[in-house]
Amino acid sequence: MLDFTFTEEQEMIRESVREFAQKKIAPIALEMEKTRQIPEDIIKGMADLGLIAPTVSPEYGGQGFDAVTAGIIAEELARADVTGSIPVFYLVQASWGHIFDKYGTEEAKREVLPNVTKGKWFLGIATTESDAGSDVAGTRTTIRKEGDHYVVNGEKMYISGVREAYTRGGGHITIAKQNPELGTRGMTLFYLPLQSKGIIPTYVDDLGREGISTGGFTIDNVVIPKHYIIGEENRGFYIVHEGYEYARGLISVICAGAGLQSLERGKKYLKERKAFGQPLAKFEALQFRLAEHYTKLSFLRLGAYWALWTYDQEAKGKATRFEVSKAIAMAKMFASEWSNAAIDEVMQWQGAFGYTRECPDQAAWRAIRSFAWAEGSKEIMRVIVSRELLGKEYISYK
Amino acid sequence: MNILVLVKQVPDTSDVKFDERGVMIREGVQSILNVFDQFALEEALRLRQKYGGEVSVMTLAPEQAKTAVQKCLALGADKAYHISDKAFGGSDTLATSYALSLAIRKAGNFDLIMAGNQATDGDTGHIGPQVAEWLGIPHVSYVEQVLSIENGRATVKSILEDGYRIVDVELPALFACLPPTNFEYTNPSMSGIIKAKSKPYTWWKADDIDGDKSKFGLNGSPTRVLKMYPPPKRSRGTVFTGDYHDAVKKIIEALMEKKVIE
Ligand SMILES: Cc1cc2nc3c(=O)[nH]c(=O)nc-3n(C[C@H](O)[C@H](O)[C@H](O)COP(=O)(O)OP(=O)(O)OC[C@H]3O[C@@H](n4cnc5c(N)ncnc54)[C@H](O)[C@@H]3O)c2cc1C
Ligand SMILES: Cc1cc2nc3c(=O)[nH]c(=O)nc-3n(C[C@H](O)[C@H](O)[C@H](O)COP(=O)(O)OP(=O)(O)OC[C@H]3O[C@@H](n4cnc5c(N)ncnc54)[C@H](O)[C@@H]3O)c2cc1C
Repeated sequence: MLDFTFTEEQEMIRESVREFAQKKIAPIALEMEKTRQIPEDIIKGMADLGLIAPTVSPEYGGQGFDAVTAGIIAEELARADVTGSIPVFYLVQASWGHIFDKYGTEEAKREVLPNVTKGKWFLGIATTESDAGSDVAGTRTTIRKEGDHYVVNGEKMYISGVREAYTRGGGHITIAKQNPELGTRGMTLFYLPLQSKGIIPTYVDDLGREGISTGGFTIDNVVIPKHYIIGEENRGFYIVHEGYEYARGLISVICAGAGLQSLERGKKYLKERKAFGQPLAKFEALQFRLAEHYTKLSFLRLGAYWALWTYDQEAKGKATRFEVSKAIAMAKMFASEWSNAAIDEVMQWQGAFGYTRECPDQAAWRAIRSFAWAEGSKEIMRVIVSRELLGKEYISYK
Repeated sequence: MNILVLVKQVPDTSDVKFDERGVMIREGVQSILNVFDQFALEEALRLRQKYGGEVSVMTLAPEQAKTAVQKCLALGADKAYHISDKAFGGSDTLATSYALSLAIRKAGNFDLIMAGNQATDGDTGHIGPQVAEWLGIPHVSYVEQVLSIENGRATVKSILEDGYRIVDVELPALFACLPPTNFEYTNPSMSGIIKAKSKPYTWWKADDIDGDKSKFGLNGSPTRVLKMYPPPKRSRGTVFTGDYHDAVKKIIEALMEKKVIE
């Protein structure tokens, strides 16, 4: 049985989000390049509609959405916000809200998640450090138990939403070594409020997605209570990958959506702009590029929804962890590249205008470029697929 | 307060095209909830919040109109009636309003019936007033706001070409509603969409409503459409471009030249 349709309910969700996003977000998207923040009324509008971390269970203020439905929202936000800021704001919280909901303690969930879904707080993810990105096992930050609480020391770098969590409230799901001698089996995941005593933030001057900050923070003897531990101690490395997979699935949809939307703008331009006495759209050389990019991105879109569907299948006991990892990595492997190539082409069609700040596609290009690294680089996606195809024993390092 | 809102699914006319015979191209045109009806519904929901009670919605339409009705439920309506039967095919406004009035009688006692002032496709503005006539209740058109409801009477603001009037009317009554120009339509929330699924949805066929069946559908429709054609295109007029101040200056000069102003 093969069926590519969304449910009636999902279609309604798409329509409602699209209307909201096209009406409220699209017109102001480029302004975020300068204001460098998501307007408060948009955050409120998203919260009122139930779009912030909709993957969280209803008892903590979410909608209990599955991954595919979360993907639909991601796609519509990506089609509206050329700067990619709101899609990032969305995808990080949807993915890590889901992990918090699945593995967090009851007490922490009650304390944190309703504030997240209401748009008051920001919930992010912090694994990367200056000296440890792809190689999460190289993490230097430590966590140690002291009586009934824990003490954390270290630093995190290239983290999305640092300013948001530091100023609005909220924090990041963070990974640290609890038993360094156990390697990946000695890492623990926990919730770290960024307004804790001992946190000092820094900011990075990013190439794009200006509406949301990227930064880092030092963690100096920060005390966190026991109930902030996410999942079991020493299981952090495994849980964090589940979250990364969720995020990678959403990113793949976002890349497809942003690219296809850019092609829509490009198509319009090709029909309107004349050269050598006819519309650009009449030149087959350009038509073929449109056809190729459209085809690639449509397959990317299908692959991305399929990967998210696989994630949902796992929750129903119908797919294994490894099948999910592979499907998601396949979806993300080409996501940013293909999307960037399409957007680059659309910029090219627009001639010199394509190289100006006024051209929305340049913002989209810079935003999408980040996804070649963020939440797992495109090379690491190849590492994962190879590992699944050949077997663990062929990983060339330990 | 029991309120019924009449709703219709219409093609999204913000982007309508006609073929060379003047027939509207329906292909690729999305169907949406008539915006006037969404306004009527939002006004009804506001009244429910203030006075309590229940809001029902009703449509007479083919099955695919369910998406528009579902949207009403997602926006907060409590239940829906959907009347659908081949027997209603070819209905003009008279036959449509007749069938609707029968279904309304069957559905129960409503204190208030709200409709859109007009549907953006048919655009006759007939249905509201006709339904009221079939039911023998008063109606007010161009209603922008229901101001108050007290002792079985309602006060409404109804828009006129050169102003507005305040009308005091006995209930039950029907209001044909017109959104103010700056009205901000609500998008259904995620939780609204989820809840909509489990709200009562009643389907009726022609046989489910009592009445004179000869008045249904094409047979009951005295109107005959002879020809359909789009209104002749008007010329674009003169467009003044350039910077804001320049353009205003040019417009003033042009108006003076035509002696519209001196
Ligand atoms: C805009 C932005 C936002 C981000 N937000 C977050 C966030 O919110 N939270 C967070 O924790 N992190 C975040 N990151 C960090 C991101 O997850 C890392 O950049 C990514 O995991 C890669 O790590 P790295 O930058 O340290 O590169 P490295 O791991 O040092 O890799 C350098 C290069 O080598 C390649 N490489 C590494 N290992 C292999 C291998 N085995 N085979 C082949 N090639 C390999 C990589 O693909 C990369 O191209 C963000 C990054 C960006 C750009
Ligand atoms: C001769 C003729 C033949 C027609 N044949 C067909 C046909 O075969 N198939 C077809 O689909 N249409 C047909 N129509 C169109 C149909 O009769 C009208 O669309 C319908 O009666 C509503 O009229 P209107 O669109 O002008 O709505 P208006 O009177 O402008 O609508 C005002 C308000 O009435 C309410 N309302 C209108 N229609 C409905 C409804 N159906 N259910 C609930 N509430 C409603 C809404 O609140 C709406 O805002 C025909 C019309 C004519 C004149």
